Parts: sequence; structure tokens; C-alpha cells
Amino acid sequence: MPIITFEQPNGTATDVEVAEGGNIMRAAVANGIAGIVGECGGQAMCATCHVYVHPEDAAALPEPGEDEDEMLDCTTAERTGTSRLGCQVVLGGALQSIRVAVPSEQV
Amino acid sequence: MSSTSAACPFTGAQASTGTAPAAYASTANAVREAPIADWVRIEDMYRDPFPIYQRLRAEAPLHWVPAVNRYMVTSYAACHEIEQDEARFSANERNSLMKRSMGHSMLRKDNPEHQVDRDSYGATLRPGTIKKHWNGIFEQNNRKYLGELLAKGPGSDFVWDYAAPYTAENLRLICGFHNATQQDMQRWSQTMIDGTGNYADDPKVWAKAAASSAEVDAAIDEMLPYLAKNPDHSLLSNLASMPIPLEAIRANLKMTIGGGLNEPRDVLSTTVWALLENPEQLQAVRHDPALFPKAFEESVRWVAPIGMYPRETTQELVLEGVRLPAGARLGVVLGAANRDPEVFEDPETFNIFREKKPHLAFGGGVHFCAGTWIARAQVAQVALPAVFENLPNLRLDPSSGSVDAGWVFRGMTKMPVLWDA
Repeated sequence: MPIITFEQPNGTATDVEVAEGGNIMRAAVANGIAGIVGECGGQAMCATCHVYVHPEDAAALPEPGEDEDEMLDCTTAERTGTSRLGCQVVLGGALQSIRVAVPSEQV
Repeated sequence: MSSTSAACPFTGAQASTGTAPAAYASTANAVREAPIADWVRIEDMYRDPFPIYQRLRAEAPLHWVPAVNRYMVTSYAACHEIEQDEARFSANERNSLMKRSMGHSMLRKDNPEHQVDRDSYGATLRPGTIKKHWNGIFEQNNRKYLGELLAKGPGSDFVWDYAAPYTAENLRLICGFHNATQQDMQRWSQTMIDGTGNYADDPKVWAKAAASSAEVDAAIDEMLPYLAKNPDHSLLSNLASMPIPLEAIRANLKMTIGGGLNEPRDVLSTTVWALLENPEQLQAVRHDPALFPKAFEESVRWVAPIGMYPRETTQELVLEGVRLPAGARLGVVLGAANRDPEVFEDPETFNIFREKKPHLAFGGGVHFCAGTWIARAQVAQVALPAVFENLPNLRLDPSSGSVDAGWVFRGMTKMPVLWDA
């Protein structure tokens, strides 16, 4: 199963297994990862599942869609070049592992 | 004999020494029935629901409340569990007053049906369209209605002379009702909402709601062909080109009229009222306008404009330790969840500097408020800074008190204000 590594602002890291086709937000909420809210249930409407993808993993992802892109402008923590909405990043296929940093502020 | 002590299924070990304190024995997995709160009265909640919510929440996460004829869910954890699990908690309530008043909108549908309707609203309410299109229109409307308030002079009512017409005009253009007025929007909204809350089954209330419903149908019928030829950024324009049944368009627009006017109006008025009642916080916001969004979020946490919405259980289940039968009618009381001391420190106090936590005022899960960003833009970005900039020394009128009221919907019903003209 694909693995997501969540790195917290305090430096701790947690590995979470996710089913093929699962997304980062769902995996985080299901496993109680601190700092990922996922208020809107995955519709790219609330910007509360913001993550920073590790630069070495970012290139493997498809570009954000229009809905995700405009919502990334509404995140509470600063948007960077590797900012993504967790609900829009799907694991599986060629993408079997990813490292993401959880921002210090989500709401 | 050791028949009463079970072996651990993982280690095979049996607890042989030590016992739990009596008060803690066998509560871990105890499932209880919902307590009955027969002391709750609707007229008390209408006046001030918060002391009632405090008492309910302290006693249990949910109660059967005879006066409301449903279970009222008041703890944050239980409300949050409901809104994230539509398989067990259906929005498609039987005998829904909202369906009768407004038709069967997306708010009372479960997926996959709900998502078809929701997607039909397209990009109209999303941040990109707000930034490119609506913010300019909100600013224009704000100048007009703030100007009318200024012209009317000190002693005017902040809600009815400014917040209501401003938010109604914004919603009129977002919907695309170029054949109606902001006054029509206010009348439609209030009468159909009154139908949605017509638990007393008053025929006069139904008659007014039905008249508004028919007016909205006629207005939609007139606008759809026009907007198909003259498209703009409105919801109706988007819908004019989509294969969506007319019945769904009508119901969804009525839900949007009901849910898109009173709520921003009430947040705007409540936020200004709360800041005027807390001068040191007002001072901070005046010095740093970046704090207006914080004031907005704290205001919707403190007094959620939609205080309760319905759900229905699809199966027998246990919610936060309380057994519920299948088909149980629930009231998800966001107004209580947002003041749960398990989550928010000193929850009854308006405090824009409190530790930030996610509140439930916009709901959550698939029914997360589609108008969230529209509300934030028109209230926190446009209206609030302009109000305090253009009304010097704005204050509540000491000779004529403000009134806040409601529980299913809560806001200011009277708010006379003074300023240095």
C-alpha cells in the first residue's frame, strides 16, 4: 500500500498507509494527523487540508487544477511553490510514497 | 472460579490484581438512552438559547427534546461526527418543512444526487470568480447602501437600513434576478424561511411562503431564456446552459435565497455589535484591518447565524455513547457545538484573539456552505472596514436598545446606532 509521511512543525514524523486511489486529506483525518482539518470533505472548497509537498516528491505530481489553484490562494499559512490541498493529491499507481509537511496554521 | 474476569484476547493475560475505582467501573463501553429534556421551551431558546445549551451539553451530548420533536445534538464531537458521515446521517429528511416551503434542494439530498446539483452551481461562488468579478460589485453596492445609511443619519437601524439591503442586493446579482429588487429578495427570503420553520403549521405562514415561491418560479422562468442569450457570472446564467431539471433549479435557488441573505446580514450586524460592546477589541481592529477576518470568524463561532439544521439516522447507531433508533430525527445544534468548552476555552466570550480552532458555523462534509467565501468577501473584506472608516465614533444608541433573537436562525433584530455626523 502507498505510504504518506506527515512531518509536523515540531519535527516529528508519522507514516500512514493509504489504499490505492486514496487522498492525503482522507488518510490524515482517518488517522488523526494533527493539523489537517478537511472541513469540506474533499471538494476543494475550504483550504483546511493545506500541505507542503517535499520538493523531491513534488515533481511527480500533476499540476493543481483550477479549483485547487484558486483555493490555495486562500490558505491560512503562506502558499509556497509546493503547496497542495491534501484532498486533491491521490496516491497509487506510480506514486507509492510521498512526504508532506503540515503547516503551522490551518484555520 | 474466574468466570467474571475475561482473558485479554491478544496476550491471554488476566487481570488478577487491582480494581477500578467504583465510580469508573463499567462506564467505558456503556451505551445509554438519550435523556429527555422536557424543560426546554422554544420561546426561551428564541430569546437566548445559550444558557439552555450549556445545561444540555453538560448533561449529555444529545437529548430528546419534546418541544422540538427531535433529538438535539449539542456537543462539538457529536455534531462533527454527524456532518462527516452522510451514510449514517442523511440530509434527506422525511416530512421536511423545508421541502414543502422551497422544494427539494441540494441541502436535503444525499450523494450522488446532491453532487449533481452542487456541481451545477459551477464557479460562481468560488474564490477565483469572487476576486475577478464579485468583489468590485460588492464594493459598489456597499458604497450605495452605506451612503443611504449616512444620508438617513444617526439613529438609523444598522440591520434594516444597511446590512439587509446591502446583502440582499449582492445576492440578487449573484443569483441573476435582473427582473427583481433587493426588497423582493428580502420578502422572498423571510417568507420562505418562515415556512421552513413553520412547526406550528400556521396556514397564513404557508400562504405567504407559497406566494413567494410562485413569484420566484415566475422570475426564474423569465430570466433563464434571457441569460441563455446574455450570459453573465450569475448562478441562473450558469444554470441556463446546463441539463438540470427545472424543478431542481427552482428548489436550489429558493434554498440560496433563504441561505444567502439573512446569514451574511446577521454576521455583519452581530460582528459590529460585538466589536462595539468590546472597545479594546474594536481598538485593535481599527489599528490593524487585517484583524477583520478574525473578527468575522470569531463572530460566526460565537453566534452561528444558522444555529441548527436537521439530519435523520439511516440505521440504529450509537453516537457519543447514546443509542439512537433508525429514522431518528436530529437537530445538529451548531450554535451549541461552537461553544463547547471541551474545544473552546471560555467559549461564551467574544474574543478575536482566542486560540484558533475550526468552528462548525459553515457546516462540514459534503454540505459545507457553498457561500462561505462569498460571505467572507462581502462582510469581512468589503463591509466591515468601510463601516468603521465611514461612520466616525460609531456606537450603539443608548436611548434605544439593540435586540438579538432566534435559535434556529439567530441575529440582531434591532440595532439603532449613532455616529459623529
